[in-house]
Amino acid sequence: MPKIASIDELKTIGEQLTAARSDDAILMTVCGGPGCQATRCHDVAAELRKELDSNGFNGSARLRVTGCHGFCEQGPIVVIDPSNIFYGQVKPADVKEIVDRTVRNGEVVERLLYTDPSTGKTVLTEDKIPFYKAQTPTLLSQNRRLDPWSMEDYLAIGGYTALAKVLSGMSPEEVISQIKASGLRGRGGGGFPTATKWAACRAAHGEEKYVICNADEGDPGAFMDRGILEGNPHAILEGMIIGAWAIGANKGYIYVRNEYPLAVEHAKEAISQAREYGFLGEDILGSGMNMDIQVARGGGAFVCGESTALMASLEGKVGEPRPKDVHTVEHGLWNRPTTLNNVETWANVPAIINNGAAWFSGMGTDNSKGTKILALTGEVKNTGLVEVAFGTSLRTVVEQIGGGGRDGRTTKAVQTGGPSGGCLPASMFDLPVDFDVLWEKGSMIGSGGLVVMDEKTCMVDVAKYFLKFLQDESCGKCVPCRIGVDRLLEIVTDITEGRGSSEQVELLKELGETVAETALCGLGKTAPNPVLSTLRYFPEEYEAHISEGRCPAGVCTELIEYSIDAVTCNGCGACLKACPSEAIQGRKNKLHTINLELCTKCGICLTSCNDNAIVVQ
Amino acid sequence: MHQYVDIVVDGSKLKGRKGETVLDAALRYGICIPHLCHMPTLSDIGACRLCIVEHIKNGRTKITTSCTLLVQEGMVIDANSQRVRGLRRNIAELLVTQAPNSRAIQDIALRCGVTEPRYKFRSDDCVLCGRCVRTCNEHYNAHAIGFVGRGRERQVEYPYREKPASCVMCKACVTLCPMSITPCDGPMKPGEGYFCGKCESLTQAPQYEPGDCTRCDLGEGFDCARHV
Amino acid sequence: MSSSLDTILEGRRSQPHQLIEVLQDVQQEHGYLSREAMDTVSEGLGVPVMEVYRVANFYTAFTLEPMGKYVITLCKGTACHVRGANPLITQALGLLEVEEDQTTEDGLFTVQTVNCIGTCALAPVVVLNGVYHPLMTPAKLRALINRVRREEEEGTGHA
Repeated sequence: MPKIASIDELKTIGEQLTAARSDDAILMTVCGGPGCQATRCHDVAAELRKELDSNGFNGSARLRVTGCHGFCEQGPIVVIDPSNIFYGQVKPADVKEIVDRTVRNGEVVERLLYTDPSTGKTVLTEDKIPFYKAQTPTLLSQNRRLDPWSMEDYLAIGGYTALAKVLSGMSPEEVISQIKASGLRGRGGGGFPTATKWAACRAAHGEEKYVICNADEGDPGAFMDRGILEGNPHAILEGMIIGAWAIGANKGYIYVRNEYPLAVEHAKEAISQAREYGFLGEDILGSGMNMDIQVARGGGAFVCGESTALMASLEGKVGEPRPKDVHTVEHGLWNRPTTLNNVETWANVPAIINNGAAWFSGMGTDNSKGTKILALTGEVKNTGLVEVAFGTSLRTVVEQIGGGGRDGRTTKAVQTGGPSGGCLPASMFDLPVDFDVLWEKGSMIGSGGLVVMDEKTCMVDVAKYFLKFLQDESCGKCVPCRIGVDRLLEIVTDITEGRGSSEQVELLKELGETVAETALCGLGKTAPNPVLSTLRYFPEEYEAHISEGRCPAGVCTELIEYSIDAVTCNGCGACLKACPSEAIQGRKNKLHTINLELCTKCGICLTSCNDNAIVVQ
Repeated sequence: MHQYVDIVVDGSKLKGRKGETVLDAALRYGICIPHLCHMPTLSDIGACRLCIVEHIKNGRTKITTSCTLLVQEGMVIDANSQRVRGLRRNIAELLVTQAPNSRAIQDIALRCGVTEPRYKFRSDDCVLCGRCVRTCNEHYNAHAIGFVGRGRERQVEYPYREKPASCVMCKACVTLCPMSITPCDGPMKPGEGYFCGKCESLTQAPQYEPGDCTRCDLGEGFDCARHV
Repeated sequence: MSSSLDTILEGRRSQPHQLIEVLQDVQQEHGYLSREAMDTVSEGLGVPVMEVYRVANFYTAFTLEPMGKYVITLCKGTACHVRGANPLITQALGLLEVEEDQTTEDGLFTVQTVNCIGTCALAPVVVLNGVYHPLMTPAKLRALINRVRREEEEGTGHA
């Protein structure tokens, strides 16, 4: 494919490709997102390909494997267009029937349709499924329209036209001004106004400047950036090139965490294609702009999601953050002006340029404009990636989109913002998804991870979990984080093991505030949030642990006891076989018992019993 | 020839030299802001967080380390507000309960207002101030020791935990170490550390007041800024 | 060994900032970072050995000991934790009688945990040599490990 040398040429080619797609062929779309990969969607796709090739469809039916559609819980997903029929949890063995009945004869395979639990009825088309209906998937919906390995697909849906628009007469100041008017704020957790960052970087002194895409996505429970990077990598590239034009940079980096090898491949392939087509390299689209982007891999350190640590890592050093008395927009990578933005932030740029600032700012709230992709996980029926306009209530996300709690249990809280965020109780679910509102309540939207918790989750244990995580990931340079987080963990552990006291609760608050104010970097500064927010909203759980030595959710191992109910146990012996500590005794078909001295409360017996005979209290 | 800027620290007008930090300027004027990892002639890393001050700008205050804050014209700093003292005390409390077996550390804790530490004592041998590592790298360019590991596991180590050829046993690292040169006579067993509050500088002071200096010998090897 | 290191260092000599990328390639190629490899990288890139050693110890992507034929990675992310990652970890460590990051004596299995691998919607997740196993339970994990063991004994194992 020879380079596209001018904006006119891009227009022509784009139009040709768009026209080529809008024929009458039946299209089968298989979701190839992270969740579906794990449930073997590629086996399904391979079967479909085989069926198509061997049955003489001759172009009247096509297959496209795309990036993440969002409904991971229902994967593998196959959508048949033009009727928009949605089949979920498809297995390779189902493929022949789908091709014979649906593709050939237009018949529906009822058992593969999604069943709405609230009505008990099946839903035929993707757009009527409640999970999708309550969303505003402006960015995520692009995924299902393209094969992420295909540049042509991206061009066919208008790819790189935003770049063309910018290079055909918008000055850098105009670009920044449009981003400003849109109200775009960083999607990585900081929520910093993007235009302000770009303007400061533009104004900074320096011949060589850089743009960086932060794809480190270290928050446990978050995989939105993975969904975009593996589903629509060119949107990110296009955004970065536009950003580079705005600040005056010619070089960019995409820093991908080590745990995402597939995302690294996608990024590399997209860059290679962009170079081939002339969107990266010299004299882009005949504008005179030169630009190149490289991929760098992380080494496995959460702290490298912090901008100064990320830059240290790009320089080949250990990922230790440095004090931000000097801003990275002035002295960043190699001490030069650098604009670092999150994957989702970059991916939003092309649409803002093409559709205008008003289109973007028309969605959302006063101070939080546009949409946000959330990773909805935990104890909720519908898990996956969802995109909502800012201002949507947490309740809508958890109940309408998420379908409510699992296995009939009551939802108790949501945890947002990863280890830097906090937990909000169900009573506050009317709060909107909004940067400032959630921050004010002691949590934050963060990168977008939203973990749903129910009555079987112990909130003190959640605080302990996050403190352990941060202790593991702390770089260790500064005292408040290295020692302070460790001491917070020591106190919370005491509480979960029945040694807590109310003086300790006061100490938790005081130490938490000290760490928040004095730590060197964002990791340390926000480390106390999980424990402080759980103390604020779930004091009764802390109280139960401290004064009654009881864990209401039945989680904290030192405070619970496992036993087998004499009535429900049927002596099947499943628990006996499963127990790694050999703590269960019993004869076949007779009541089994647990030896409390050997029992480590690991919970494995609980998952093995089919009759709910294991009791935890 | 120095260029000067006017700054205000704790209500006093100082002439800061362009390119120096607020901590350097304050120490030059004899304003003692407690610190541990700072050493003249070594780079400042802002690791111990003891030297924090309030940087007052546009009616808002920001807590930041004075060793990493460069002086600027018109800067207003409060190094001794109640808020700063409270935070500093909590940080010193963390330090002394982590590594109590050093008179220098006990002294710092006392000067920062720690009276009864609220955490269980541990007996670490290192406060990770980084003086040794920075001396070895920056003065001698030997790179014989470095910080290895993350978080709680972070330790000063040789490469492969074996003394390399580049270490010529100059002992510069030892002479700067607050743990090695001012060991405390107190118990060294884990969990049995304690805060006696009686190191030299205190026993010589008729009346304890944070910021007072008694010109004790403790400052000599430790290169305490007050021993100027 | 030295020839593969030469290949990895090609085009990157005397460029200290390539340290992490180079070590990633060494880890992938050899399965771990040996002292010899680190010394060679130090010389090749012009980075003090101390710094190479620091970087090798700081990032979890690098191991300084060879790993087992089958690497079991258990995810400890928030979603996995809430949906039962702990019993899985207990099961794996108990069944194979190792500590975290340790390899079994027969060199077959290494058990490690990771703080999130990004497949959160289908928690809890276990990865075996790059293959993702979603919605795991202790029983399924037992079955998986036993199946691998059986295949190894029969000689039909594929790492």
